[in-house]
Amino acid sequence: MTRVKLYTAIYVVLFAFATAQVLVEQSGGLPYWTAFWAIIALSFVKALMVAWYYQHLKWEPRSVTFTMFVGLLAALALTTAAAYSIL
Amino acid sequence: MTDENTKADGGVADATHGADHHHDLPDPGHVKRWLVTTNHKDIGVLYTITALFFLVFGGVLALLMRLQLWTPGVSLLEPLQYNQAVSAHGLLMIFWFLSPFAFGFANYVVPLQIGAKDLAFPRLNALSYWLYLFSGILMGVSFFQGGTFSGGWTMYAPLNLPVYTPNIGASTAVLALTMFTASVTVGSVNFLTTMHRMRAEGLTLRRMPLFTWTILLTTWMMLFAFAALLAALMILSADRLLGTTYFSATGHAGSLLWAHLFWFFGHPEVYIVFFPALGVMAECFQTFTGRRLVGRKWFIAAMVLVALQSFLVWMHHMFLTSINLQIKTLFMATTIGISLPFDLMVFALIYTTVKGKVRFTTPFLFSFGALMLFILGGITGVFLGAVVLDYEFRGTYWVVAHFHYVMVGGVTALVGGLYYWYPKMTGKMYDEFLGKVHFALYFVGFNLLYFPMFVAWETPRRDFVYPEVFVGWHQVATVGGFVLGASFLVMFYNLFVSLWRGEEADDNPWQYSTTTEWAIPSPPPLENFPGKPTFRDGSLKFLPGAGSRTGGTGGSVADGGEFTVEEATDGGASVSQAADTHAADEPESHASIWPFAIGVASFVLLFGLSGLQNASFPSGIEGGFYAALTVGGLVGGLAALVAMATEEFHALTGPFGESWPFEGVENTKLGVWIFLASDVVLFGAFVGSYAFIRVAEGWTNWHHLIPEAHVPLPGLINTYILLTSSFTVVLALVAAEKGSRWGLVGSLATTFVLGMAFLVNKALEWLHLFHVHTEAFPQGWNIGTNIASSTFYLTTGLHGLHVIAGLIVTLYLLVRAWNGAYLDDDRPVEYFGLYWHFVDIVWLFLFPLFYIL
Repeated sequence: MTRVKLYTAIYVVLFAFATAQVLVEQSGGLPYWTAFWAIIALSFVKALMVAWYYQHLKWEPRSVTFTMFVGLLAALALTTAAAYSIL
Repeated sequence: MTDENTKADGGVADATHGADHHHDLPDPGHVKRWLVTTNHKDIGVLYTITALFFLVFGGVLALLMRLQLWTPGVSLLEPLQYNQAVSAHGLLMIFWFLSPFAFGFANYVVPLQIGAKDLAFPRLNALSYWLYLFSGILMGVSFFQGGTFSGGWTMYAPLNLPVYTPNIGASTAVLALTMFTASVTVGSVNFLTTMHRMRAEGLTLRRMPLFTWTILLTTWMMLFAFAALLAALMILSADRLLGTTYFSATGHAGSLLWAHLFWFFGHPEVYIVFFPALGVMAECFQTFTGRRLVGRKWFIAAMVLVALQSFLVWMHHMFLTSINLQIKTLFMATTIGISLPFDLMVFALIYTTVKGKVRFTTPFLFSFGALMLFILGGITGVFLGAVVLDYEFRGTYWVVAHFHYVMVGGVTALVGGLYYWYPKMTGKMYDEFLGKVHFALYFVGFNLLYFPMFVAWETPRRDFVYPEVFVGWHQVATVGGFVLGASFLVMFYNLFVSLWRGEEADDNPWQYSTTTEWAIPSPPPLENFPGKPTFRDGSLKFLPGAGSRTGGTGGSVADGGEFTVEEATDGGASVSQAADTHAADEPESHASIWPFAIGVASFVLLFGLSGLQNASFPSGIEGGFYAALTVGGLVGGLAALVAMATEEFHALTGPFGESWPFEGVENTKLGVWIFLASDVVLFGAFVGSYAFIRVAEGWTNWHHLIPEAHVPLPGLINTYILLTSSFTVVLALVAAEKGSRWGLVGSLATTFVLGMAFLVNKALEWLHLFHVHTEAFPQGWNIGTNIASSTFYLTTGLHGLHVIAGLIVTLYLLVRAWNGAYLDDDRPVEYFGLYWHFVDIVWLFLFPLFYIL
């Protein structure tokens, strides 16, 4: 597959996933927390696809991915630990 | 080396440093030189002098406080003035003195130690400095706007809100700190790119000198920690200026949120401040004991461990809040745990003195004194790390004494660093006797000042009324404060007079120094080295090439690791000969006025914004003044940014040998990635704040705060728009790679149109929500209506600002692409794409959080 075809295919998938997120919520068929995690998981998958292919992380040294991962880890540590602290 | 030689190579030994005449820099005697310079050594000198100014500023405030404390309750200052002095003293010392003082050395020394001729982005380095200086001036201005911030340096909520600190000056102080944070972020990106990408051949991370190691770890911590602080300050600015309600949120949530954000930054900040001091100590211990640091690799490993762990201890500052016991216990464990690697470092330093032969020079005395003070500061801190003891000690002078022993202990080492590198920076020796007098006064004054605070620990912190039984101790402390202050007069006199009357300094005035800066003249020439530095064989050599026609051997200076017996000074002659011929064909630029201009514009912009309250300026002339400043700063800043982007400026690109772990990632690309990593934490902190407040409110008990008119459709449309724009940016890169000018122009134009469509759609949505009229929201759903509206508008607004910034860049790229640019070098399009896709990714999370869930 040429790069353009690959990028186009990813674009279609991203479009579909965004729509799916709204459909999951609108359908009301799933319990709230199941829908919550499904929607968040879809966001992570979309973000990963943009970063991996559109930002070319797939073709960069892994150290670049690691740097971004450390930033993400810091953000998640702050978010989860702070939220947990008042549960 | 003769004087003539020294002057010929540009390394003038007259304290004016770098008076070369073969480049675009004016002579050091001209003021213009210091406004336009981008050279790392000049910037280092500027940082050092400016930081010392802020030491005096913060120090005078401290002496005023000590005078007030001479007798409890007797006022020299009015109560609110005292509160301002306490708050400004803390802010100035921690932000505007301590770190910048260390970064004066970092700027000067790190490129020399790694064998680089400058930092990766010299203009950004100058920009860091000007943002730092003007942020400090803005902090000074805040005193004249009805008084500066008076809620303590930790700026706890709700004291940080206008209802408690209503002065415009308080807002200005917050904005000044925001500007300082921007300076730090720019600096971190620059240093990290430089240290990872531009090390000389053979200078692996393992061989890297310890001072540079500490700066590497410090800047990594800065990158992530200051991003969290930036988020906290942006939210606080929005609360103060625009009327959002984060920190006045329901119940305890607002106050706790501030504490989480602030201390997530604040605890790594302790190590950010202390690590460079540790680096100075390691260098001085090695040089003045003539012994390689014992357990060097374990010392480094311990520092890496502390740097990681520093992000996992922040809640020990919150033991007295309502966070749950489980998390307190966990953070007590991590806090006690972080003291263990420090034990290793302390023992390594002590054992090095035991194994070596100590020479009690001034830099060593300060470094050794710092170790003593840090041991006491560290031990007393362990008490505070225990939950039950913290219940007793919190809010008392025990805390004040502990952190001054740690922080000012760090200052002690940095003062040692000033003496250590003074000969290198100026080409002159200081007076050793006066240096020792300074140390004696300093050490006595320090302990007279801070030790009584442990004894009188029951004194309430930040208050000038205390039990009479402690009067004697506080009076001793006040005397100590003045002795400590006077010791600096000795230092200033010594260093100032030595500039003119001091002995000429050799390349290497210290017998056993082992790092690269001591192999070149004092002060070094503009281009630093006589050739291409290499450590391939384990010791420093200068190879022909990289502009040098004559190769030379710089003697023996190794990497701070194995010690060699040859002297650095013997390389001096070849250094100067080579440098003489070398600089003439160097293309690097060293001057740009635009960083200074951006600094001025940022100052004007933030000064103007300080007048905002509830999103409007005051009425009358005052309001017009602030509004005019805001517009002027914004327009001036944009113009200066465009001018800097279009200016022809040649920076070093590297790599020069060692680039692990970023081989193959070009400097600018790595800079963009590192910046984005900090942006991840910035947005992460915004999302984290939203999540925290929503959890406090009850996650599923949130929707009553949002009008029915807030539906997913506008968000979904914007998601489609942004995803499409990401696709067109990718197509732009493909077109550039294929050399298709019109494909590139078309793709960029489509991206621009889509970005505009995103903003228009958002504006329409916001206008609709502003004007909803329902029973629950009779006045519309505005930014300050409730916490849900505040989080929605501010977080998506910050994202919108990122889109606007991206569109400005798109427009710039579009104009240049229209004129045929990027077909032979598509990297700018690729790097812009990294940013644009990141903005897209952020939206992929904001959309579900703010529209669906």
